[in-house]
Amino acid sequence: MGAGERTPLKTHPDSLARTIKSDPLNYVAKTLIVAVAYYVAARLGLRVALIERNVTPLWPPTGIALVAFLVFGRALWPGVALAAFAVNLPINTNGFAAAATAGGNTLAPLVAAGLLTSVGFRREIDRLRDAVHIVFLGALLSMLISASVGASTLVFSGALSAHEFPAAWAVWWTGDAMGVLVVAPFLLSLFQRPWSGSLRERTEGIALLLLVAVVSLLVMNSDRGLMFLVIPFLGWTAWRLQQRGAAPAALIAVGIASWAAAHGLGPFRQGTLFEKMVTLQSFDATVAFSSLFLAALVTERIRAREALERATDQLEVRVTRRTAELSAANELLKREIVERHETDRRLRQREGQLAEAQQAAQVGSWEWLIPENRVSWSDEMFRIHGLLPQEFPLTFEKAVEQVAEDDVARIRANVKAALDRGGGQQLPDIEYRIIRPDGAERVVRGKAKLSVGANGEPLRMIGTVQDVTESKMAEREHRIAETLQRSLLPDRLPEIPGVLLTARYVPATSDMEVGGDWYDVVQLPDGRVGLAIGDVAGHGLRAAATMGQMRMALRVCALEERSPNRVVTRLRHLVRGQLDAEFATLVYLVFDPDSGAVRFANAGHPPPLVVRGTEGASYLEGGLGPPLGAVGFPDNYLDVTSHLAAGSTLFLFTDGLVERRGATIRDGLDRLKTLVTASDEDLEATCDHLLFAMVGSDVSDDVALLALRPVLLSSQPLLLRLPAEPYVLASFRQTLRRWLREIGASPQIANDILIACGEACANVIQHAYGAKDGLLEADLVVFDGTVEVTVRDRGTWRPSGGRHAGYGERLIRGLMDSVDVKSGSGGTVVRMRRRLQAGSQDEPARAR
Amino acid sequence: MSQLARVEAEDRGILCVIRLHGEVDISNDKEVLAAIEMAVPHSALRVVVDLTHTSYLDSAGLALLLRLAERLQARRQQMRIVAPLGSPVRTVLELTGLPRVIPLEGRLEDAVRESEGEVRNDGT
Repeated sequence: MGAGERTPLKTHPDSLARTIKSDPLNYVAKTLIVAVAYYVAARLGLRVALIERNVTPLWPPTGIALVAFLVFGRALWPGVALAAFAVNLPINTNGFAAAATAGGNTLAPLVAAGLLTSVGFRREIDRLRDAVHIVFLGALLSMLISASVGASTLVFSGALSAHEFPAAWAVWWTGDAMGVLVVAPFLLSLFQRPWSGSLRERTEGIALLLLVAVVSLLVMNSDRGLMFLVIPFLGWTAWRLQQRGAAPAALIAVGIASWAAAHGLGPFRQGTLFEKMVTLQSFDATVAFSSLFLAALVTERIRAREALERATDQLEVRVTRRTAELSAANELLKREIVERHETDRRLRQREGQLAEAQQAAQVGSWEWLIPENRVSWSDEMFRIHGLLPQEFPLTFEKAVEQVAEDDVARIRANVKAALDRGGGQQLPDIEYRIIRPDGAERVVRGKAKLSVGANGEPLRMIGTVQDVTESKMAEREHRIAETLQRSLLPDRLPEIPGVLLTARYVPATSDMEVGGDWYDVVQLPDGRVGLAIGDVAGHGLRAAATMGQMRMALRVCALEERSPNRVVTRLRHLVRGQLDAEFATLVYLVFDPDSGAVRFANAGHPPPLVVRGTEGASYLEGGLGPPLGAVGFPDNYLDVTSHLAAGSTLFLFTDGLVERRGATIRDGLDRLKTLVTASDEDLEATCDHLLFAMVGSDVSDDVALLALRPVLLSSQPLLLRLPAEPYVLASFRQTLRRWLREIGASPQIANDILIACGEACANVIQHAYGAKDGLLEADLVVFDGTVEVTVRDRGTWRPSGGRHAGYGERLIRGLMDSVDVKSGSGGTVVRMRRRLQAGSQDEPARAR
Repeated sequence: MSQLARVEAEDRGILCVIRLHGEVDISNDKEVLAAIEMAVPHSALRVVVDLTHTSYLDSAGLALLLRLAERLQARRQQMRIVAPLGSPVRTVLELTGLPRVIPLEGRLEDAVRESEGEVRNDGT
């Protein structure tokens, strides 16, 4: 039985057929179950037999057989046949009759099952056509077989007389048909899906079935012919529960009616057997048909409604979805439109900004499509060329029409060179002039870039053109002014032995224009040094030019006038009478390195600053007169004198050094004084430090600074390198005198050495180099109380000619203790010695 | 005129006194010579070149004096030099033996007196 349990009851017939072959035990079990069920049902049916013992108005086994064939397959027919034979054997006259009847009883449901399967019968009977099929094909038509075989057998077997055949046949037929119609739907409903209804539906179902049973029992026990009262309850059941309820209800009603008929209760109390038969059969038929059809109809309509609802739902879902899709698409479209507008707006804005930027920067842009020779210009390009924007379409030829004639060639060469080189590239920048239609000339700077195609063929050139006319002019003027000023300031300061000199000039960083600050150092013939520093009001070319004239004028005056205040006064006259300067300040100072004497005059300029070792720093504030350009002041310049010892430092500067925004000049002067006191030993470093500390890197106004420091010559050997020219001799002697004094030589001996040196040097100047330039080297050292002088040249010694030749050599030998002359191809060296103390060899030459 | 030296001439009739201030070297010897020649009037018979204020004089200066003496000689003008004893110039003059060619006095007064004596002797 284990195998049988594994086989599902609802297995399809075909799969069952396979099971039969593979699992014969299961098949036999099923066959036996069917046989037993058939037999039991038959025994029940026979209880309500009306004719003889084997013709009953309701024959349930046919329904069982049909359902068995439909559900499990027609292969089970032996079970049906066996049970039918077993049922008929005792009630038939002989075995043959029983076998014939059993054959008819087996064949009828077999045929019915075959017909129903062939028309696509659904066991749920949920369609009207299923109801029609089971009624007409499964019951009425197929049962003709069993009725005909059975009734005929009864007649042939002699159980019935021939004239009884129609009645027997009719009862058999209707009985079998009712068996199918009442039992089959019920059984089929059992084999359907387990009922999934709610508790309320189950309760309702049970209540309805009970109601049908109660009503049926009541009407069957009533003599008043109220059988029709059952119908509404059947209809109610069919309507509420469809086949699930209708089939059992019909079975209940028919079963109770058959029981009532068999026992002659209620409606079946009176009348003939035939009348009772007709009554029962018609009731059965009515019940079966109504419940079957109503249930099928209701099911179908429910299904139709469900389908409709499903369709409606689906439609709704689809509509919703589609609507959502459409709305999304619409949204996207709207956004795209907005974005496009925005992009368009931005593009326009950018174009506008570009045009504005081009206009502001005076930069125009252009594009040249080379194969088509089409040129397009930005609006600013047209403006730069003095045209209305987009005045005419362009070609390359048209584009260069306004370029100055000699510049066109350069542009063409530039372009040609790029095309010849080939490949995408940046062209060299080019500056050229264009002539506007009104004749105005503009200077522009062009940049261009060449793009090439896949095969290197030139495609297009793009570029920009900037109007640089104004900046070129400004730049030019600035350059001239700067060059002028630089060239007007001394390119180097004179080298004066025993005097350290240094100067600084720092142009303003913020101002493009050149200032009028200036300074100069003049070597005066008597060995003194003239120092000038000044400031011409104004900036640019004019101030620079005025400053240059002032400097030249000062040089002239300085050479002619010994007194600084005379120099300043003469310059004032010049400024007022000749120069167009409104305002100029000046300090002119003369320093005598020999004596350390300082003499100066000041025309409205910041005072010179002196730092004297331990005494500290002080300004030379005396002698301040009016500025040079000032009108309405008398020429009351004074010479102020002072003294500079060795190691002291003098600073001359312009107001840029001490002027600072938000502070008075007084503050600046005080600050400078403090700084300079704490400053470095080294003069160059001191100047750098002062500049950095006073003005830093942001120079708001030009600054000129001139510093002078006398130093002791005797602290070291005197090494002089001078041009071999006559004019150097005077300052050479000046230096020598000072040095000799500082080393403690007596005036007499100092004079002797001075003359001897002068002779030797004059000799070099006159004879060593001929017409060529050369260098005169003179070294003086002191050791063991003796001065050794070495005078050297790099030329060739020429004997001095003329009648007075020889005096020089005689002088040298006469004035010095020893003289040694060495002459060679590399030059001549004269080495002379002289003792500082006059001793036994006093004035040796004079002794001769 | 050179910045180094300055020439002053004092016309005393037949006597002319030339005072040479400053320094004489190869840079200005020719100028100084020319200046003195120009400063000496042709009317003068005696010329005294006073080197008292000459702070430097080397062989170029010596040559200048010799040349001047020759030119004055050619103009029939007698020349004397004044250089104080112990002065820088005096050393140079003596070392080169110039006094053997041109009369040298230590003081201007002596030179003037000597010249006037010669004039008196000549003129009378």
